[in-house]
Amino acid sequence: METASCRKRGFLFYAGIYRKILVQDLKSKMSYRADFILSNLGMIMTNLSGFVTFMILFHNFPSINGWDYYHMLFLYGFSLIALTPVQCFFDNNWNLRFMVRSGDFIKYCFRPINVFFYFISEVFDIKGIGQFIFGMGTFVYAWRHIGIPVTFVTIAKAVLFLITASLFMIAIMNASAATCFWIINSGYVMVIMFRFKDFAKYPASIFNGIFRFIFTFIIPIAFVAYYPSLVFITPDSVPLLSWLSPLIGAFFFYLSYKFWMLGVRRYDFTGS
Amino acid sequence: MKDIRKLTALTKAGITESLQFRLGTVVTLFGNLIYLALVYFLWKSIYASAGSDTVNGMTFYDTMIYLILATAIFNFLEMFILWDMSRAIQSGEIIMHLLKPMRYRWYTFWSYSGSHVVSFFLTFIPTFLVVMIVTKGAVPVGWNLLAFICSLILALIVNFNLEMLVAPICLYTESTWGVNIVKETIVLLLSGASIPLAFFPEGIRRIVQYMPFRAIYDIPLTVLLKKNGSDTAGGLSSMILFQLAWAAVLIIAGNLFWNHAVRRITVNGG
Repeated sequence: METASCRKRGFLFYAGIYRKILVQDLKSKMSYRADFILSNLGMIMTNLSGFVTFMILFHNFPSINGWDYYHMLFLYGFSLIALTPVQCFFDNNWNLRFMVRSGDFIKYCFRPINVFFYFISEVFDIKGIGQFIFGMGTFVYAWRHIGIPVTFVTIAKAVLFLITASLFMIAIMNASAATCFWIINSGYVMVIMFRFKDFAKYPASIFNGIFRFIFTFIIPIAFVAYYPSLVFITPDSVPLLSWLSPLIGAFFFYLSYKFWMLGVRRYDFTGS
Repeated sequence: MKDIRKLTALTKAGITESLQFRLGTVVTLFGNLIYLALVYFLWKSIYASAGSDTVNGMTFYDTMIYLILATAIFNFLEMFILWDMSRAIQSGEIIMHLLKPMRYRWYTFWSYSGSHVVSFFLTFIPTFLVVMIVTKGAVPVGWNLLAFICSLILALIVNFNLEMLVAPICLYTESTWGVNIVKETIVLLLSGASIPLAFFPEGIRRIVQYMPFRAIYDIPLTVLLKKNGSDTAGGLSSMILFQLAWAAVLIIAGNLFWNHAVRRITVNGG
């Protein structure tokens, strides 16, 4: 009886555990107040720098591929919000390679809960909050200037598409972090993928042919802002890929999760 | 003579160490190539909407060369001094560095030199060659290459000393990530690595011109592209002097700050 109830673990069980781990993590973070302030300042600085780059760009050029200033800002704000969950909830991926290499990773395998969940839940990165606030500001500002109506439907759509957009970046980072199960010290894969995200804020229509394909289906940064944004920016001619993005996002996330777990199984076998 | 051998030993050790992870270099190079394609498409569409071939004295190819080589220089200059230092302080290992019969700053510089040599040949040169091919030889080739190398070495020295100046802040704040990202953002934006300084509005550019960040990316690249009068002896020497002056200022400031901060380590007991 007891084992049966152990195996049936629903969403509530994991939500409860997550809350407990989160509170502990926040407590320990709060003891370094200067770090908290500086990290958030740093996050806002990077976003501000991206904003200044935009201003300088539009100081010299009227538009990018037919996208004017406010539409580009919309994309930028959208991408910043969509990049928040990966920053806040999945930041422990950056530590994976050290854990795997030193052998400390084995501790996650001995718990009677999902390894991926346990590992990821261990760190909540507060500095993502600064980015979220900055992104929201930009997003609302651009939304108002473009004149998108504020109704229940548009807001519900915004929430749905922001969440799906965030799944793509989570999937990219999961998969690139998991490479460390096969390649020692594969941090550079994560660094490169993390750099590609800088291009999420530009319309994917600037790429042609093969690169359009790569950034849509292989390294799906075009889904982080471009495809979901089209639902709001060109409501009359939304491409099919935009409507399908929630499904594709869930699929990518599932794939990255499977890949990550495959690595864990491999780690078990080598026993290193 | 003995001193030089001591330093080249550190360089050699660094070279061996970075050659060990060759796969990383290959992947980084490959990533750079994709990044190059991204930059190409972005600026191509930006220039397509400009309506003219030259904007603020920069053609499409100039901008391309500038930004892609800025990325290559970024990889070339990349150091993790902030992280190394804060890790060494946390683990107490710093005391071993301080006890060595060589100044910590000097030791760090030379142990990094090996990885600079490797990344110069394995990522910078290949990226440079690809840029030459993609832009169909738009990089002027001549004495400017020699001037560029000199300027690049000075950029390395300025960058290193900037890192050394900022790194001890971690001692006071316990925030390695925060300090590092603030430094990196400021450097990348104000040095021209994110967007060429030529595009900055006049007023801002006049201020940025006097800051040290320009010495890291903008000056070497300007020298390479023969812009802003860097092809004349006067223009070139004023840029090199600018780099030298900032290197000197940063070395002195870094030393003063380090001497002050190092006392804090002893207080903590290491």
